[in-house]
Amino acid sequence: MNTRWTTLFNKGVTFAVWRTLLSWAVVILMLLPSLAWGQPATISGTLGAVGSDTMAGLMLRWGETLTTRYPEVKLQFQASGSASAPTALMAGTTRLGPMSRPMTGEERDNFIERYGYPPLELKVARDALIVVVHRHNPLRALTRQQVDEIFSTSLACGGEAPIRRWEQLPATRDWSFGSIALHGRNLASGTHGLFQQRALCGGRFRNDISEHPGSSAVVAAVGESANAMGYAGFNHLTPAVHALSLYNDEGIAIPPNEAAIQSGDYPLSRYLYLYVNLPPGERLPPAEQALLRLIMSDEGQQIARASGFVPLTSSVLDDQQRW
Amino acid sequence: MTLPRLPSSRQPLRLLKDRMATGLITAGGIGVLLAILAIGVFLVWETLPLLAIGDTFALAKFSPLAWGTLKAALAALLFAIPVALGAAIYSALFMSARLRARIKPALEMMEAIPGVVVGFIAGLILAPWVERHLASALMLIIWLPLSAALAGLLWQLAKSRLRRRLAFSWAGLWLVPWLVFMVAIALWLAPWLEQQWLGGDLRQLLDQRYGMDYAARNALIVGVAMGFAVIPSIYSLAEDALADVPSTLIEGAQALGASRWQALWKVALVAAGPGIFSAIMIGAGRAVGETMIVLMASGNTALFSASPFEGMRSMAAAIAIELPEASPGGQTYHLLILAALVLFIFTFLVNTLAEVVRQRLRRRFRQMGGTL
Amino acid sequence: MTSASHAASLRRRFSRANDVWPWLCAASVALSLLMLGALLTLLLVRGLGHFWPATLEEITLSSGETFAGEAVREVALPQQAGEERLYFTGNQDIEGVRWRWVAIDEIVERAQPKDLIRVERSPWGDFIGRLVAIEQGDQRWQGDAAWQQLATLLTLPANQRQESQLLLTTVDGQILRQPLASVVSAQAPNAMSGWQKTRAWGEAVWRFLSEGPRAANTDGGVWPAIFGTVLMVILMSVMVTPFGVLAAIYLNEIAHQGRLTRLVRIGVRNLAGVPSIVYGVFGLGVFVYGIGGSLDEWFFSDTLPSPTFGTGGLLWASLTLALLTLPVVIVATEEGLARIPEAQREGAVALGATRLEMLTRIVLPMAAPAMLTGVILAVARAAGEVAPLMLVGVAKLAPQVPIDGEFPYLHLERKFMHLGYHLFDTAFHGEDVQAAIPLVYATALLLVLIVLVLNLTAIFLRHYLRRQRGNEC
Repeated sequence: MNTRWTTLFNKGVTFAVWRTLLSWAVVILMLLPSLAWGQPATISGTLGAVGSDTMAGLMLRWGETLTTRYPEVKLQFQASGSASAPTALMAGTTRLGPMSRPMTGEERDNFIERYGYPPLELKVARDALIVVVHRHNPLRALTRQQVDEIFSTSLACGGEAPIRRWEQLPATRDWSFGSIALHGRNLASGTHGLFQQRALCGGRFRNDISEHPGSSAVVAAVGESANAMGYAGFNHLTPAVHALSLYNDEGIAIPPNEAAIQSGDYPLSRYLYLYVNLPPGERLPPAEQALLRLIMSDEGQQIARASGFVPLTSSVLDDQQRW
Repeated sequence: MTLPRLPSSRQPLRLLKDRMATGLITAGGIGVLLAILAIGVFLVWETLPLLAIGDTFALAKFSPLAWGTLKAALAALLFAIPVALGAAIYSALFMSARLRARIKPALEMMEAIPGVVVGFIAGLILAPWVERHLASALMLIIWLPLSAALAGLLWQLAKSRLRRRLAFSWAGLWLVPWLVFMVAIALWLAPWLEQQWLGGDLRQLLDQRYGMDYAARNALIVGVAMGFAVIPSIYSLAEDALADVPSTLIEGAQALGASRWQALWKVALVAAGPGIFSAIMIGAGRAVGETMIVLMASGNTALFSASPFEGMRSMAAAIAIELPEASPGGQTYHLLILAALVLFIFTFLVNTLAEVVRQRLRRRFRQMGGTL
Repeated sequence: MTSASHAASLRRRFSRANDVWPWLCAASVALSLLMLGALLTLLLVRGLGHFWPATLEEITLSSGETFAGEAVREVALPQQAGEERLYFTGNQDIEGVRWRWVAIDEIVERAQPKDLIRVERSPWGDFIGRLVAIEQGDQRWQGDAAWQQLATLLTLPANQRQESQLLLTTVDGQILRQPLASVVSAQAPNAMSGWQKTRAWGEAVWRFLSEGPRAANTDGGVWPAIFGTVLMVILMSVMVTPFGVLAAIYLNEIAHQGRLTRLVRIGVRNLAGVPSIVYGVFGLGVFVYGIGGSLDEWFFSDTLPSPTFGTGGLLWASLTLALLTLPVVIVATEEGLARIPEAQREGAVALGATRLEMLTRIVLPMAAPAMLTGVILAVARAAGEVAPLMLVGVAKLAPQVPIDGEFPYLHLERKFMHLGYHLFDTAFHGEDVQAAIPLVYATALLLVLIVLVLNLTAIFLRHYLRRQRGNEC
């Protein structure tokens, strides 16, 4: 309907006249005589980003550093989960979509359908999903099947029977806390999606998992109760909880430490992505460019480390200098 | 209303201005009303696709939300109704007028405390505490009424000089330190009692004997937190209703031989019944729609469980965390809008019912009381 | 008042209350007061206490290990006797973590040496340890001189202390060279007098109120959030006041007082009870996606896909909240209008006033305080609402406030920060809940204070009004 209106306007009077008239009409309508908006042509220097809240702290720190370097460039960030990034990119509410998982084929297809070109995908840091238990819990390692048996109802990874109680795990046979209280993330978060895909082999989550609106809330909840287990992003690890090692396919327990995550040996390690809406052949505005330069620089990667993530290896960094 | 004509030269201009102003006000007023109507229209419009298809899968996803909403609201009301009605009865019928003028605004002030603050306290402070001290928390529920009764007993036994000092009409205030004292005793006693009677750990007992799970963020926590938020609205309206009961009714009942409490229980409460009913309805409306408290304190587990120790997911909380991510036009989007529509219709109906009842009651009292 | 005398008569009869029920009722009032008091006390103590310079301890464990930190809280050990204590130890760049849980039994010695210092740094958070020396080019200060030199250097702006660096050591002997440019502040709390601590406390409170958030919202202040909240509320009142008053005048003075008007009135009143999240949904669907999206297509097509109005922003947030608080203003204004004696209106009309003149000269001035009360209540409600804002335009971090020196000066399309959402966000989305909780308490206290002050103003205004009107009638 809107496009029809626009073409109508274009046919009649010149668009510019209508534009002034209409903007005045809108102004009066809203009873806000002082309302006016910035000329689209000038670059405001404000970067908007919508997406993963796992990456919120990281994005904010990058933004802070960017602002100290270029005081006129500001980053505003809305953290509402990775699933909101493709939505926002598609709806055009933002150009930068940080995501803690790669876009699904469907999300990418939707984007291509809307704009005619794929979004630019950049890896910006390395992270991992960790399974955490209370700091006094004697449990130290789990197999992939056990993780699936604990968190899912579908047993898609080849497990035998669901594990519901601490007594069912050999390491906690004497741990008399009854059922395992499970904590996780809400549906929209990339952490939720990735854990489902990688740890549950695409199966279904149990429905009695407490879904928290943030990873730090998961860690805090597990740190408060001795019978709890949860999954969260590596960067939220605190001494209140203990991160479990996971057995890889060769049967070796790999602890989630920096080296194992950077090399990808830890089974649930992942990249963090930044999706950019960039039409082919166009260049990004200077503010966005400055942000990407910072992220790919050594300093940017050190900031990632300070936020609890793992820096990219230089080969990955060199691979993606094409924006 | 017709306006008198005046012999004035400026009259046409004045009348014109008047007519224009009337038109403007009418337009503004109707515009506002239309804007309000637009909310309902928008919600219905956006849910039509979902309802038209009759998508059973979507509706199946919807039912745990509806259950969670009801469970949260019920838990809140279970806590709020006794406390709020008790407070309303006391402050309308027994409290000293001077104290009442201070206490009533103070309690109504509770309503102003933002939900996000209450939710934060409940979710991050109260929930872990209760998890570690479940026995103490449950004991408080029994202990508090008992300590109130004990206060009454001690007061009966006290010397009349002390009784005059600590008048019953001021009990709402001086019971506060008493309750603090009793709570302290309960917290001190509870671990010992748990050791003696419950074999050391109540949660283990619950688990082993009754097979009950305990989630840290559960209906109990939500009930207390949201009860806290709902108490003031119930209290305020119920108090108004009780204070409006014509005193002639109660005096008449007592003249006919009713005891003091009978007069109150059988006459005042019954007379104010519709008012109290509408107060509860308004409280229920608030409990159903409260978002932040449930979001932060409920654990958001989409469970069909009646256990007070397990969590739930409410419609309002689901909207708040999932809608920003739902792509417009998608199934989740429509589903969440349906949840909003249900909330809208439910609260609107409940409030309308409450309002109609309240107005009818007021009219009845006006006829009865005469001077009111 | 009849109800007062009736209460008095009942009181007389109940002077020897021998039932349990009245006591339970009295206890309900006491319990409500107790809960309210406990909540406010908790917020006050924890919110303000966070800024007090905490004592630093040097702990020696039975294993011989030593570390320094601030004791935070104690909890019972699960499944065994005894307690454990949480220490904030800082030094994230050296240790990798900022916290340490220690069983109390393992602690051999707790000392509070006066030379322990706490240095606040901007990328890595706090350092807790000892100051060895300050180096500036070839110059070097040690001991007390170093501390004094540090105090003078910290008064300089960050870019003028580029060459200096601090030589710090942790209590277990690891050495750290810290460039002074990244140091925000330093204090030795164990050596401070009560007066010095009070001053430091005052400064910390002021910094909290006047500075922007730092280190991904885990540190620093809430100034942009205060600013955003206030600006949004002002915009909202600018929108809600005229419309609310118009609607109230229409309903009370112009509309035919029939069944329909009564229904409409009940409807408006009930909208105050509709959950705020529903308004948020409406705002997102209609304002952001509908109107905002269309505005973008018409006027800002050259910047698409970067949206201008098609995303949550200040304008949409204040519009949504205006809609949300409209019933509050309408109801309060109508109440004020209904209180004005009909004789006043009739008198005005009898003296030859038109309806407009009667309204503007007689009715509105008399109803003005009621309108003001309504607006204040609306503002108080809006200041505390978070749920609808999550849908229509708050940002986790929007360092750029929506007012600046650039041409339109007021940037309605920008996202903004809001105290309530900031609270939710730091408590649940932050990197580390434990680190954020003191700030969350402080933010909660600030929010509650703002809302309570607004409500108190409304209550006093209404009270004053009733008394004044009582004299008139």
